Amino acid sequence: MPRNTLTRRTILAAPALIGAAIAPREAASQSIKVLKTRSLLDVAVLDPANRISVTDGDVMRAIFAGLVTQKSGDVWGWDKDLAVEIEQSDPTHIRFQLRPGVAWSNGFGEVMADDVKFSYERMADPAFKAAYRTDWDFLDRVDVTGPHSGVIVLKRPFVPLWSSTLPAGSGLILCRKAVEPLEGRKFTLDPPATNGPYRIKKLDPRRSITLERNPLWTGKRPAYDEIQYIQIVDSNAAEIAYQAGEIDFTQVPLSNVPRLRKSPPPNSRLHVAPSLAYWWLGMQSEAGPFADIRVRRAVQYALDVEMILDGTFLGVAERATGFIAPSLLGRRKANKIVKPDPARARALLAEAGLARGFKTNIGVRNSTEFLSAAQIAAASLAEIGIIAEVIPFDAGQQKALAGDKNGRWKEMGIMISRFTMQPDPSWATAWFVSSQIGEWNFERFSNAEFDRLHEEAKGELDQAKRQAMYERMQDILEESGSYVFLTNGATASLHRNSVKPALSPDGQFQMWSDFAPA
Amino acid sequence: MIAYVVNRLLLAVLIVLVAMVILFSMIHLVPGDPASIVLGTRATPELVQAFRERMGLDDPLALQMLRFIGRSLAGDLGQDLFSNAPVAGVVAREMPHTFALAGLGLGWSVALGIPLGCLSAAYRNSWTDRILGVAAVSAIAVPSFVVAIYTLLVFAVGLRWFPALGAGPDGQPLTQLWHLVLPSFALGLGWVGYICRLVRASMLEVLAENHIRTARAFGLPERRILFRYALTVGVLPTVTLLGSGTGRLLSGAVFIEIVFNRPGIGKLVLEAVNTRNYPIVLGAVLITTITFVLCTLVADVVAALLDPRVRERL
Repeated sequence: MPRNTLTRRTILAAPALIGAAIAPREAASQSIKVLKTRSLLDVAVLDPANRISVTDGDVMRAIFAGLVTQKSGDVWGWDKDLAVEIEQSDPTHIRFQLRPGVAWSNGFGEVMADDVKFSYERMADPAFKAAYRTDWDFLDRVDVTGPHSGVIVLKRPFVPLWSSTLPAGSGLILCRKAVEPLEGRKFTLDPPATNGPYRIKKLDPRRSITLERNPLWTGKRPAYDEIQYIQIVDSNAAEIAYQAGEIDFTQVPLSNVPRLRKSPPPNSRLHVAPSLAYWWLGMQSEAGPFADIRVRRAVQYALDVEMILDGTFLGVAERATGFIAPSLLGRRKANKIVKPDPARARALLAEAGLARGFKTNIGVRNSTEFLSAAQIAAASLAEIGIIAEVIPFDAGQQKALAGDKNGRWKEMGIMISRFTMQPDPSWATAWFVSSQIGEWNFERFSNAEFDRLHEEAKGELDQAKRQAMYERMQDILEESGSYVFLTNGATASLHRNSVKPALSPDGQFQMWSDFAPA
Repeated sequence: MIAYVVNRLLLAVLIVLVAMVILFSMIHLVPGDPASIVLGTRATPELVQAFRERMGLDDPLALQMLRFIGRSLAGDLGQDLFSNAPVAGVVAREMPHTFALAGLGLGWSVALGIPLGCLSAAYRNSWTDRILGVAAVSAIAVPSFVVAIYTLLVFAVGLRWFPALGAGPDGQPLTQLWHLVLPSFALGLGWVGYICRLVRASMLEVLAENHIRTARAFGLPERRILFRYALTVGVLPTVTLLGSGTGRLLSGAVFIEIVFNRPGIGKLVLEAVNTRNYPIVLGAVLITTITFVLCTLVADVVAALLDPRVRERL
């Protein structure tokens, strides 16, 4: 009869064998420099023309190169990338010279000036219906003057080209030979040819994307051999994963910043960058009590913005002086109404014949931060007799209400909103022009001077004049009584001391080719 | 028995059809134009119109619903809005992870709940019974996501015995099983309590019956009486509970998948809701509903097989 050989040693050996089965792969991954970083969303579209999220942008900047690239650091700016020379010879002509010898993957040859022409004209083509067509709205054509040289010709001057088009996703270059034969000249997750410092090693939808160095890349060599971009939807789960040592870099919610400042995880640094986004409290200006500018001004004087920010962002976010973020041209130095003045607010209400106050709604997105801000605002308004009920809704409902043809927008007196933007001030003013009423101009604000300035500023090359134009536009917004600027917010991220991150000035984008071991 | 199974099958088909109608209506009755919501501020009117045409949003709602039901019955759940991948394929890729999680969670609850319930019944009113009672009620009371966070903090962050993230690489079943230990435990713990209390109650009832007294009078060993004669009858309510419990386990899996960042249906739906990817939401919820209906059906049939009185009741 066979003996039973199950001993304590056998039992103890089992986990060791399991460990040994797992260990070789782990050990192998240690021999190369790997950066493990968190993405909030799944990679959805890698075609620059139709990119969707920050995640797509991060990956695209690693696998494709453009004429210029966004600088990392605290100040918005650009560096040459595939262009060895690039200059604006006049307000509508930009000459460029490509670095020779940059290769496309999959045997598609060298990056040529004709690829630049194809990439930018494809995006500007109305028939192509690119999601980011507005970035190239002013493009007339790209003239190819040599194998590696060309001229970008604009219909009229367009200043955001240098801040939110060329250095951003819309400035990345695709391979004509590889992309043109594709159905509809587009692709989603399977770029037929790439030319950036990294290439896709493994794409695991809804889990992660792994990039490795592109052996054909002739530019500056990236410090990390491999980037693992791991999708973690929940921010708190991401922080736990960071603490468990499974990722090296992650964004963290602003509400966690005070705690992390007090007791950061070991060997870690917290980085807080001013965001480009803008939060505001807006009043629709066409119906009900808010049609009277004195009522809107009363609300402006009644609100204690500092209290709203303290309660919502726990002291992390600064008060905004307008829609344009502090890091951009066009920022205003100060608000016109700096401190709450309930007495003046009551007097304005009395002048408008509403001394006893009235009832209204505050519409907000259904999230903790929006609801907190709305409740604190409602408390401020109660002091002057305005009883505001907080109505939470989905972002889509807000848009539907604003554009409702039966006038349901009248139901919402006040809304607290947040928009994100590109690093050019024109993106902050674009949604408040008269043509946006019923679309994204929730307040139904209309001012001819504002509309004119918005169009003119997009083509103004003189920086000082442009600054003055945007300051004036924000003055007009505040003087209309329809807007109370809350904050531009901030973006917080956590990284190990062993990692030197390279982020865009707003902390949103990760420039992996500039990340380095510390 | 065949008539019983046919009746239950027809009922299941009806439930799925009603669920499809409700699901479709809920998605489309929410205020807001899906095209504007999905495309955001950058959408030009042409882009919005192209999207509406692609999604068939300009057709009457009833026609859209009929088309959805017809296609779903043929196995076509539409396409992912962003990647254009077939929804059925996307859901099929995530389902094994959710099933593995729910299955192992169920495994924990059966493996621990039934023996502990028997122990509690065998030592009725003893300290063991009281301690197990308090522990079981506590396990029921604590939400699974709280258990998930604490198990993560203790075993993944503090002790670093288990991984904190994901499901492990494909093709490495041992690593994947290792990744499943904490999430499945967090998911199944509440059910350990439920099953423990249920088994205890039904065992006490069975242990008081005549055939058990007769077995004792014949001098059969207590262990044999407990496991051979009492447990086979006492476990019946648990079988029925497990059928309906699978649905609750699947919904509990949503939180666990988010906290542990595991792939699965729950995480898929959350992400799809956040990005307004309606075809994915519809497809994933529909498949989950069908799974729930099937589990309940199987549990009912098993209960009818074990207890003839059940099939006479329908």
